[in-house]
Amino acid sequence: MNFFLLPSNNLNQLLKNFSKGAKIFYPFSENGKSHIIEYNPEHNFEPDFSKIRTAQNIKNFFFPARGIVARFPAKIELRSNPIVLMGVKNCDLRGIEVYDRVFLKWQPVDHIYKERRDNIIIISADCPEPHDTCFCNFVGLKPYPEGISDLNITVVKSGYLFEVFSEKGQNLIDENKGLFIEAESESINERNNLRKSAIEKLENINKKRIKEKVYELVEKADKRTIREARDECVECFSCLHCCPTCYCFLLSDYKKGDDIERVRVWDACYYAAYARVGGGANPRSRIDERFWNRFQCKFNYFYQYEKFFACSGCGRCFVGCSAKIDIREILNKI
Amino acid sequence: MNPYEPILTKIKKIIPETPTITTFVLDGKPIEFEAGQFAELTVLGVGEAPFTPSSSPYAKDLEFTIMKVGRVTQKLFELKEGDTVGVRGPFGKPYPLKEFKKKDVFIVGGGVGFAPLRSLFLALVENIKDYKKIYIRYGARTPKDIVYKYLLPEWQKIKNVDILLTVDVGDEEWKGRVGVVTTILDEIPVDIKTTPAIVCGPPLMMKFTTQRLVDAGFKDSNIYLSMEKNMSCGIGKCNHCRVGRFYVCKDGPVLTWKDVKDIEDPFL
Ligand SMILES: Cc1cc2nc3c(=O)[nH]c(=O)nc-3n(C[C@H](O)[C@H](O)[C@H](O)COP(=O)(O)OP(=O)(O)OC[C@H]3O[C@@H](n4cnc5c(N)ncnc54)[C@H](O)[C@@H]3O)c2cc1C
Ligand code: SF4
Ligand code: SF4
Ligand code: SF4
Ligand code: FES
Repeated sequence: MNFFLLPSNNLNQLLKNFSKGAKIFYPFSENGKSHIIEYNPEHNFEPDFSKIRTAQNIKNFFFPARGIVARFPAKIELRSNPIVLMGVKNCDLRGIEVYDRVFLKWQPVDHIYKERRDNIIIISADCPEPHDTCFCNFVGLKPYPEGISDLNITVVKSGYLFEVFSEKGQNLIDENKGLFIEAESESINERNNLRKSAIEKLENINKKRIKEKVYELVEKADKRTIREARDECVECFSCLHCCPTCYCFLLSDYKKGDDIERVRVWDACYYAAYARVGGGANPRSRIDERFWNRFQCKFNYFYQYEKFFACSGCGRCFVGCSAKIDIREILNKI
Repeated sequence: MNPYEPILTKIKKIIPETPTITTFVLDGKPIEFEAGQFAELTVLGVGEAPFTPSSSPYAKDLEFTIMKVGRVTQKLFELKEGDTVGVRGPFGKPYPLKEFKKKDVFIVGGGVGFAPLRSLFLALVENIKDYKKIYIRYGARTPKDIVYKYLLPEWQKIKNVDILLTVDVGDEEWKGRVGVVTTILDEIPVDIKTTPAIVCGPPLMMKFTTQRLVDAGFKDSNIYLSMEKNMSCGIGKCNHCRVGRFYVCKDGPVLTWKDVKDIEDPFL
C-alpha cells in the first residue's frame, strides 16, 4: 500500500497547487451538515473531510441534471474542464461505479460521460462518524473507500493520511512531493482504529444485513406487501432525484438558432409518463407498480447484471422523503 | 461516433397506406440493418421515436411505415417529400434467421404491426430456398386499414408463400374473411413443434395471438414477440424500455414468449 502524510498546515498550499490546473470542489460543514463548495483562495472555508456524505449528491459532476449530448447539423465539441472532487464518501463512489458500468462498460460507450469522467480526479475520504441514516454496511459496503477513487484521505491527528489508488492519484502526489512527509506506522494504526470504530458504530445502527437472495424476495413480493410499503408515499419523487445510484434520463430536442440541441435530463421511474407508450398504454400506470420498480431496479435487475446493488445505503432518500419511508424497513419486511 | 447524434437525410417519397398509416421512403440508406432491428427517427426540433424499418435489409432505400398516434408522429405526418429527418441506429437484435432455415415460418400481424414484419418477410423472400414455406396471417380493423394492399397480389404469387387476411369489420367490396386475427389461426398447416411464429401488432392482438399459439402447441422459445415499450436512448442506458430484466432496445425489440411469460402483463 502506498501512503503519504500531509501535515495539516500544508492543506492550503495543496489546494492552491491543485487549483492551478483544475476547479476544486470539497465538503464544507455548517450546523453539522456538509455541502459541496468550490474552492476559492479568497474565502477561508476549511474543508471538512470527516462528516458523512454531503447533503446533495455528486451525480451532477458526472452526469448533469441537464446536459447537451448532441447538436445537429453542427456537431458538439466534446470538452470538459478538469475538476478535482474532494471528500467523496464510499457510498457516493458506489454511485460512480454504477454510472461507470452503465455508461462505460455497457456498449456502446457514452462519450459524453467518458469525457467528463476522464477529467475528474476523485479524492475520497473515510467516514469516522456514521449517522443513524447511514446504511452502507446493510448493503455490503464499508464506511471507507478501498478503490474507485484516485486518492483517499483519512483525517488523523498529525494531518491527512493519503492512500494512493490510481496512477492519476500518484501523479498528483508526485507533483506536490514537497508538501508530503513519509507516513509513519502510528498514523496508519490510527487509521485502522478509526475504521474499526466506524464499523462498530454502523453495526449498532444497522444490526441486520440485507437478506440473502433479496433479489428473489423483491421479484416475488406480493401486491399487499408492495401496497403496504408504498402506502404513505406522496409521490414527491425526491427519493429518486437525490439518489446517487439512480441514472435514468430522457432525451429531448430543442431548436437553437439553425441547430437542434439534444438535451439529456434526469428522469425517474416514479413519473407516470415514464413508461407510457404511443397511444397512451402504460405498463406501470399505478403508483404501486412504479414504486416497486425502484426496488426491482436497484435490488434485483441491476444486481443481476453487475452482482452488486444499485443502492449505496447513503440514506438520502430516507432523509429527503416526505413520508419518511425507510428502504431498510421495507427490505427487512419482505 | 456520438451514439446520441442522428444522421440527417431527406424524405424521398411519401406513400399513404391507410387514413392513419403512411410509408416514408428515405433518401439513400443512412444506416444498414438486419430484419428485426429498429432505429430512432428524428423529426427536427420535435424529437425522436423508435420505428422498425419496413423495407428489406437488402433494398437500397430505407423505409418506415408509421401510424399517426401522438406528438412526434403527428409532426412527421406534416412533413413533405424533400424535408429533412434524422436517423439513429440500428439498435437491438435481429431475428435469428439462421435458426429458421429449413423450417416453415409463421408470421402473424395486426394493424401497423405489419410494418416490421414486411422487412422480415422481404428478407426471407430474398433467400426463399432456405425455408420451407412462409405463412402470413394478417388482420386489420377494416379493409381500409390494410397496409401494402398494392403489394399483396405480387406477394401472393411468390412460390411457397401463403397469405391470409382478415378484417374485424368488412364492407360491400370485401370478399375475404371477417373476424379478429385469431379466427384465422384455427388451421395452422405447419409442423407446430419446430416452426417459429413471429407476432407483431397492438397489445391485445399480441396477447390473444400468443395465447392461441401456445394452445396450438408452439414452443415458448419459438414464439417471437415485438415488444413495444417506451424508449428514449435506444442503447441500453436510459432505462425506459426495461421489461423485467430485459432492455427492449438492447435485448429486443423482439423477445420470445419464454423470455417474457413470467412477467405480469408483458404486452401492456
Ligand atoms: C422497437 C419499436 C418499433 C416500432 N416500430 C413501429 C413501426 O414500425 N411503425 C409504427 O407506426 N410504430 C412503431 N412503433 C411505435 C412508435 O414508436 C410509437 O407509435 C411512437 O413512439 C409514438 O410517438 P408519438 O410521439 O407520436 O406518440 P406519443 O403518444 O405522443 O408519445 C409516445 C411516448 O412518448 C412520450 N412523450 C410524448 N411527448 C412527450 C414529451 N413532450 N416529453 C416526454 N415524453 C413524451 C409519451 O409519454 C409516450 O410514452 C415502434 C415502437 C418500438 C418500441
Ligand atoms: S436508494 Fe436511497 S440509500 Fe440507496 S443510494 Fe439511493 S438515496 Fe442512497
Ligand atoms: S428505474 Fe427508477 S430506481 Fe432505477 S435508476 Fe431509474 S429512477 Fe432510479
Ligand atoms: S421521497 Fe418518499 S414520498 Fe417522495 S416519492 Fe419517494 S418514497 Fe414517495
Ligand atoms: S431505450 Fe434507453 S435503455 Fe432502452
